Amino acid sequence: MSSKQLNMVQAINSTLDSFMARDDSIILLGEDIGKDGGVFRVTDGLQAKYGTERVIDTPLVELGIVGMAIGMAVSGLRPVPEIQFQDFIFTAFDQLVNQAAKMRYRSGGSYNVPMVLRTPYGGGIKGGLYHSQSGEAYFAHTAGLTVISPSNPYDAKGLLSASLKYNDPVIFLEPKRLYRSIKNDVPDEDYEVPIGKASLVHEGDDLTFVTYGSMVPLVLNTVSKNNLNADVIDLRTIMPYDGETILNSVKKTGKVIIVHEAPRTLGMGSEISAFIAERAIDYLMGPILRVTGPDTPFPYRLEDYYMPNETRILKAVRKLQEYR
Amino acid sequence: MDEKEMFVNAYRTMVLARTLDKKIVTAQRQGRVGFYTPTMGQEALQVGMSMALEKDDLIYEYYRDVPFMLHRGVPLETLIDQIMGNSMDNEKGRQMPSHYSAKEYNFMSVQSPVATNLPLAVGAGYAIKYRKKKNIVVTTFGDGSTSTPDFHAAMNMAAVFDLPVVFLCENNKWAISLPVEKQTKVEIWKKAEAYGMRGLKVDGNDLFAMYEVAKAEVEKTRNTGEPVLIEAVSYRMGPHSTSDDPSKYRTDTIPEGSEGDPIVIAEKKLKEKGYIDDAQIENIKNEAKELVDRKFEEREKVPPPKPESMFQDVYENPTWIIEEEKGDIL
Repeated sequence: MSSKQLNMVQAINSTLDSFMARDDSIILLGEDIGKDGGVFRVTDGLQAKYGTERVIDTPLVELGIVGMAIGMAVSGLRPVPEIQFQDFIFTAFDQLVNQAAKMRYRSGGSYNVPMVLRTPYGGGIKGGLYHSQSGEAYFAHTAGLTVISPSNPYDAKGLLSASLKYNDPVIFLEPKRLYRSIKNDVPDEDYEVPIGKASLVHEGDDLTFVTYGSMVPLVLNTVSKNNLNADVIDLRTIMPYDGETILNSVKKTGKVIIVHEAPRTLGMGSEISAFIAERAIDYLMGPILRVTGPDTPFPYRLEDYYMPNETRILKAVRKLQEYR
Repeated sequence: MDEKEMFVNAYRTMVLARTLDKKIVTAQRQGRVGFYTPTMGQEALQVGMSMALEKDDLIYEYYRDVPFMLHRGVPLETLIDQIMGNSMDNEKGRQMPSHYSAKEYNFMSVQSPVATNLPLAVGAGYAIKYRKKKNIVVTTFGDGSTSTPDFHAAMNMAAVFDLPVVFLCENNKWAISLPVEKQTKVEIWKKAEAYGMRGLKVDGNDLFAMYEVAKAEVEKTRNTGEPVLIEAVSYRMGPHSTSDDPSKYRTDTIPEGSEGDPIVIAEKKLKEKGYIDDAQIENIKNEAKELVDRKFEEREKVPPPKPESMFQDVYENPTWIIEEEKGDIL
């Protein structure tokens, strides 16, 4: 089996390329994605290969991009809109929440929206307030949306492949900090990473980490550097999250730390914490802890204080070590 | 179909729509229906547009388009089932009354947030162009919608991409309590020029005028693949919805049966052309009443949807979360 060492940008680009080659219903649309190849170059070269009708440089209007994509999807195409930064998605929020998410339901199953909305999200690139946000909880809170975030190039290809065959709208959140920082062996042939299945990326007995996206490498590094005997769960799909994998691990370890970049209050950590408390409280040997971004806007100069780091994770680990 | 037959059929649809409208409003007052947004006053413009369309054209309508739907063949049952939210409703009783869906007749399912259907219509237009088909898209909206960012985005994109989309503004002069003069400083049709598309205004209360404009503009759009904005000037004869009392904010009215009523205008012209006489008019009205009453009684007997249907169609396959919640609730 052949494979290549690819970073996440290359993995996403080559996946789009291979799907577009065999399915002419796949249309990419967004700001600067064509000639320019996207501000992160994720769609580089695709317009040259597939033409301006299939890789559309759109006017600068997020709600128009998303609304147009929904109309295309209803008409039998498979649009892949790109929102340049997730921070800019909010004018399209109405389209996502009231059109895309509710289309199948409100039409009694007559219409559906097979759309994969790709957007870079998260901090760590000195992007300040408007190029760093992690809005996954907004989307996860909306019935009808499916929310995905890969943490490495292998999963990026597998999850995108599954999304491109999925018949409901997917919010595909790409952790921009990881775009070029990790390379994986990515098989050339087709494969899928199933939607809704987490990955146990490190195994141990003392503690469970639940995390996703850009925090996965941080947690893994912290675990290996400090010889922590911990399970590390990479959710991969944020909604619907893989409750079974979380519970199996928690029942084994009895201790949980949830790590995400998004603000703490009503972030995914809140949901996962409640989920565990409802079903496994008898197994818990200590409080469920969260290491997250604070409830402030995302600061520019002080971003290192905002992002969860090894020190903050270890602080939580030490706190849990007090419970035996 | 010859012209006489075509217009008499159009008139029959207008009468049927009006009859249904009044029936539903009365039923709402009697507590038999939860809510309704009357269409009264907008029959001519919708039927006139419908007459100009082909079967495979796509409609991205809003919540006041009953005459349009009836004229394209959507059965009375489909509309009444939606109003009742019963188990035969295409939408399984999930949406408030007036939010129809009829895929078989190329009607999109109706949303509440105004103008959010417009960008979708643009996407549908793109799909047509991309697949090199000859059908077109019509999207409808009220005067209030022209203030939204969705209107701007859709108009701009349809023009930039040269898409076969007919933007039909049903200017009924009122957005709930706000008159159109306070909605926009310029006439709506004039906005088209700023986007680089054709724009024109028509008397939407005159079936014949509306049909003439619709036919010409639909043909141009079909042939050139370019969008157009048609402002059909009309009047919302009823309230915004059954929850609204217009006497609080307006004194002007067009009473039913007065000379401004599009049905009266149509009758006058049909008679002038010798297409119809008073006896036929009465006959059409009686038939409509009998049909609406009969269908209404019949559909009222259809049972409500089964509770488990509430948990279907959120996704193609229900998530474990929804399955679990279903188990908890039912």
